[in-house]
Amino acid sequence: MGYTPCQFLLMDKQQSPPLLDTRRQLQMARSMCWHCQSEVTGEYFCDRCVKVQPVSKETDYFTCLGFPRRLMLDPQKLETKFYELSRTFHPDFYQTKSADEQTISLSNAAVLNTAYRTLRDPIQRAEYLLALETGSVKDIRTSPPADLFEEILELQDTLEEYRASDRASDHGHQLRATLQTEQEALERRKEGMESQLRQLFTDWDQLQDAGEATSLTRVERDRILKQMRDLLSHRTYINNIVNDLAAAIV
Amino acid sequence: MAYSDKVVDHFNNPRNMGSFKKDDADVGTGMVGAPECGDVMKLQIKVQNDTIVDAKFKTFGCGSAIASSSLATEWLKGKTIEEAQKIKNTDIVQELNLPPVKIHCSVLAEDAIKAALADYQKKTDGQPTGTK
Repeated sequence: MGYTPCQFLLMDKQQSPPLLDTRRQLQMARSMCWHCQSEVTGEYFCDRCVKVQPVSKETDYFTCLGFPRRLMLDPQKLETKFYELSRTFHPDFYQTKSADEQTISLSNAAVLNTAYRTLRDPIQRAEYLLALETGSVKDIRTSPPADLFEEILELQDTLEEYRASDRASDHGHQLRATLQTEQEALERRKEGMESQLRQLFTDWDQLQDAGEATSLTRVERDRILKQMRDLLSHRTYINNIVNDLAAAIV
Repeated sequence: MAYSDKVVDHFNNPRNMGSFKKDDADVGTGMVGAPECGDVMKLQIKVQNDTIVDAKFKTFGCGSAIASSSLATEWLKGKTIEEAQKIKNTDIVQELNLPPVKIHCSVLAEDAIKAALADYQKKTDGQPTGTK
């Protein structure tokens, strides 16, 4: 590709991020237009030559869609923004443009799709935020939930017994009833976790909105991220077994 | 993405599936999970005179996770505790030809081995025989 990659900014200017990390500062740094080499201060296009600018690989999905790093996003607003940007980058509008511009618009559209798909789902959004905030998921060590594993393994055993059993027999009926009860209990637990997660999402957003970076807020930040990590992974385990149960006892 | 023949073989004919009594003094149990995908793995070893005489596993997850743990139990049998410590996830990746997206399955198996060994050592350190 014959252009110098340059930064692409979709930062909402009113919403200056409270905790400036170096990565974001980098994103906010002024960059050069790949075409005319003038400074790009606008959003998706160069002010001078009006060429479309590529979304940088460093740009996170929140920035890409013009949202701050918050967890309670209005799905309606997200969708509106996504449609707006989809039109902006739609390859159809670049048919008559240069090959470089076609490539850029296409790759921008691809990034945009991934960004939207990730942020639209609250769970994926939280997983993504965790990855952003902690580097990688593994950076936060979580203690493996041994009790939960034990429970899951036991349930899977019962499930296997049920699969192998004669479903019409008394034993089969009994197993089915047990599994059904377990499934309902697990669904309730999952819901409980999801409401806990929603609380953490709100906590996170409040902390970000407050914007002070004191040692106290750092402790609070770590608490939220750690609890979120634990809840998200426990929820995944429970989700899996619930799905297995649901598939077996339809 | 297709699974390698070795993964398919382990998946269709898992070796050493099952479990030992967790509370037995000569048994070490490792229970681990992958928070990203929700796979859960239990790996157990039976030890006599510092040598792993038997190993069993139960894994609920994808084909690669099952194959990784199945292979791990095969490799564990006959090894000493010290030798077992040396099993690396990269060995499993190589043997099973795991693609990059499935490397975490081999990591899970290595974690399970480590956890089982640690559990056994914890049992033997404090209380040489008998109770849990």
